[in-house]
Amino acid sequence: MATNAFLLDISRCIGCQACTAACKTGNELPAGTQFIQLIEQTRGTFPNLEGGFQNHRCYHCTDAACVSVCPTGALFKEDGMTRLNRDVCSGCQYCTDACPFDVPQMVDGRCSKCDACADVVAAGGTPWCVRTCPSDALRFGDRQEILAEAQSRVAAIKERYPKARVYGETEAGGLGVIMVLPDDPEVLDLPANPQVPLLVNTWQKVVQPATMGLTGLSILVTGVAAVIARRNHMQELKLLHKEEAKADESK
Amino acid sequence: MGKVQLQISRRTFLKSALAGSAGLAVAGGHAIPAVAAPEGSAEPPWFYRGQIKTTYSVCDMCPWRCGITVQSVGDRVYKIDGNPADPKSRGMLCARGQGGVSFMYDPDRLRSPMLRTGERGEGKFQEVTWPEALDAMAEKLLAIKEQYGPESVAVFGHTSGEFWFADYFAQAWGTPNAAKPSSSLCTSPREEASNLTLGFPVGGHEPVDWEGLRCLTLIGSHIGEDSRNTVMQDFAKAWGRGAKVIVVDPRFSSVAAKADYWLPIKPGTDTALLLAWINVLIAEKRYDADYIAEWADGFDKLAAHVADLTPEWAAAITELDPELIRTTARVMADSLPQSLIMPGRHVTWYGNDTQRMRAAYTVNALLGAYGREGGFYFNKSPYIEAYPHPPFAVAGSAGGCSAEPGAESAELPVGPSGKARADGARTKFLRGATAMQELIEPMITGEPYPIKALIVYGTNLLNTVPDVPRTIEALKNLDLVVAIDVLPMEHVAWADIVLPEATVLERYDELWTVAHKTPYIALREPAVEPYADTKPAWWMARELGMRVGLENYFKWETAEEYINTRLQTIGSSIEKMREEKGIIVQKGKPYFADFKGSSPFLTKTGKIELYSDELALAGQDPIPVYTPTEDPPDGFFRLLYGRHPVHTFAKTQNTPLLHELYPENELWINAGIVAAQGMKDGDRVWLENQDGARSGPVKLKATERIRPDAVFMAHGFGRNEPALTLANGKGANDAQLQTRYILDPISGGAGMRVNFVRIVKEA
Repeated sequence: MATNAFLLDISRCIGCQACTAACKTGNELPAGTQFIQLIEQTRGTFPNLEGGFQNHRCYHCTDAACVSVCPTGALFKEDGMTRLNRDVCSGCQYCTDACPFDVPQMVDGRCSKCDACADVVAAGGTPWCVRTCPSDALRFGDRQEILAEAQSRVAAIKERYPKARVYGETEAGGLGVIMVLPDDPEVLDLPANPQVPLLVNTWQKVVQPATMGLTGLSILVTGVAAVIARRNHMQELKLLHKEEAKADESK
Repeated sequence: MGKVQLQISRRTFLKSALAGSAGLAVAGGHAIPAVAAPEGSAEPPWFYRGQIKTTYSVCDMCPWRCGITVQSVGDRVYKIDGNPADPKSRGMLCARGQGGVSFMYDPDRLRSPMLRTGERGEGKFQEVTWPEALDAMAEKLLAIKEQYGPESVAVFGHTSGEFWFADYFAQAWGTPNAAKPSSSLCTSPREEASNLTLGFPVGGHEPVDWEGLRCLTLIGSHIGEDSRNTVMQDFAKAWGRGAKVIVVDPRFSSVAAKADYWLPIKPGTDTALLLAWINVLIAEKRYDADYIAEWADGFDKLAAHVADLTPEWAAAITELDPELIRTTARVMADSLPQSLIMPGRHVTWYGNDTQRMRAAYTVNALLGAYGREGGFYFNKSPYIEAYPHPPFAVAGSAGGCSAEPGAESAELPVGPSGKARADGARTKFLRGATAMQELIEPMITGEPYPIKALIVYGTNLLNTVPDVPRTIEALKNLDLVVAIDVLPMEHVAWADIVLPEATVLERYDELWTVAHKTPYIALREPAVEPYADTKPAWWMARELGMRVGLENYFKWETAEEYINTRLQTIGSSIEKMREEKGIIVQKGKPYFADFKGSSPFLTKTGKIELYSDELALAGQDPIPVYTPTEDPPDGFFRLLYGRHPVHTFAKTQNTPLLHELYPENELWINAGIVAAQGMKDGDRVWLENQDGARSGPVKLKATERIRPDAVFMAHGFGRNEPALTLANGKGANDAQLQTRYILDPISGGAGMRVNFVRIVKEA
């Protein structure tokens, strides 16, 4: 199956926040949780100004720092997207430290971030933010097609924005959110070369395995317990749905 | 086998519900069981919790009214999306529309009819039954009619259901004093200028033919912050195609940031800029000469009028670079006739607004934009008959921003006792649009005749009409005040009788008929039962009508019967409309060619009137003239106001979802001023206007994005009603700082950008 990606055209976004609201309602996010933040950006002094909005959200890195540091498997890669299973998050906050984009947030002691509407996409739908965007700044589909669209949009705005470029083709191993930028990434508060912080990398690759016998074991035990509990719960749920389906058929 | 197929069709439905694609046609009441949720989530997402029911309706979260699909499971609505079949939403929806569910489930909602027990303004009520409330209202109305005549009852209406009270009930009852804020507090200068110049109003939806547009000029319109869904979509497409964008605004708005040219004009001087543009277009012979020769009247007088109004002349007034003025005129002309100035929406700014709008339309005429592909199309109303009823006691409705072409201004409607509207139309101001703010005075003075009762339907009275102290005085003076609303807005505390309304997701409503390039009709059906003891407006109006002797106007038993009777006249029905996804699209007459040789302009000359005889006869300037507006005194800033993308008017500030996204407004103020005054970004300050009115505290937004002589805030905040538990006390209130306005002598519009504020650091 081909990998999917988002298109996020920063040059086109007009900051209306329809995406934020659709994400909140479609995903039933509780008060205080937002997967998308619109951040106004202004450069220059009156009256010589430039500006726009950063549509800040999880960029679904292929080499996802958050996934590599996550000790419980709460963060994992699937279909090119970075998913989150909050049930097994231990709240260690390694992900918030590791993310080069400063995306994951702690809500009620657990990680909270966009999971690319996994359930909606699995059911054949489009992520809520994409579906509602009035500015056509967001799209979702086959990564190669999204990349081609991004390149053609960049070509189209070069006259207006000579520094326009695609961002996310190769950054962090390739992002799941391909961006059309009107200017250099640093100017738009994006890292030119997003990387896992060296310290975190060291922790993950050297320190953590070495101490596996201690902290690792306790995490493992908690994790296994959580998995077992969850499996039981899901089996009950499945049973319930089967009974419902039978009841429907007998009608 | 059967089971497998069923599963597939269920999945297909789920896909269509989630993706908005053209899948199975499933309408209200025809739900399909959900498929089992996949493993992996403790609580399955809402779309796996049971049958998904899709209902077609029209959004009421802003006045734009997008067609929506409402997704509910059981008795709960979970999601609203744009209806893909709707010509406005095209399957997409803004943040406010997404907030419709949250608006409905707002725990602060009014839940029962109430009668006042304390003093007016105290907000003390007792809950009563609907018959008790309506009997009390009917008795009082009949007594006032007996003593003062039916014209002494005023009806103010806003939001989707306004038709039932401000139009239908008011006309059946016999009062010409029905008004909507969408007229004189918003668009009436735009509409009357269009009537005078083109012979027809703009209509609710500006008829910009976006598909072929090559150059867009905006004066104060802040697309993106004013988040009208269709306009954002059309703008994005035009911009993506490379259309040129020119934005005139004292503030570097979201759309100014997308513009090729931003003109940070001194507030109040737009007409000077427009006259200079006209000067350049004519002096450099860049206008569409053939078009003007065929379709315009008064060109020679216009040319003489602007001969000396050069960019250099305008530069001194507007504080803009004369070369920028000249360049932008040329850029506009380069793309004609696919080039225009968008009329915009809220245009009641300085009290000389009809003249400014006429100047803008003059530019559009010189660009040859009207009736041309990629310019302005001629809109047309859809064909459908009204519900059959006896002749109304007052002919002519309250008007508003989507007034039907031609009907409003010709003659003022009079009531059964021969009294015309009391707002001063045709006397205090020239034209016939309703002026809500001018109906307040007769409630206090009794001149030209007393207004004794006020029914407020959905209008946020104390956050909308300028000069709040005067409105409070009027409220104290009335014999009857009725508030019909969803939420306990500030004026509800002043009502004698409170009638709680069901939201648009809980009720049938009048068909939505839209004058458009492709005229269309949209159905509104309820997704769920009304909350608590709330009722739809059509039901209230009918029950009231039955109690005051208007039975003959309310022959239908149910809203379905009313709607079906109308739909029958075009061979349709509610059932059929469901199959067509709630929308019927008809054919329009958008361009000159569709008029087959006759003139589309309904002026006396049948042409675009660049010189207006009507204005000349009335002693007004027949060609727009720049008239200066008062500058802020030392230490004061001009108070500008506008929209935030997630809020509408003063309606949505308490809606939990939208409140979370933008809980309080900020005061945009030039960063240099903030630094010079020893303040910093984020400081909380109070504002005091020229008359000593105060509002706050409000957070400073120190920004380079605004001129140093003006400040800006989003409208609708700084609320003072404890029953609005989220919105109360957050931010500053522009309406309270608008203690004065300047009446537009032509349209009756209330110019509200004539107030000044200074910053005070303590309460």
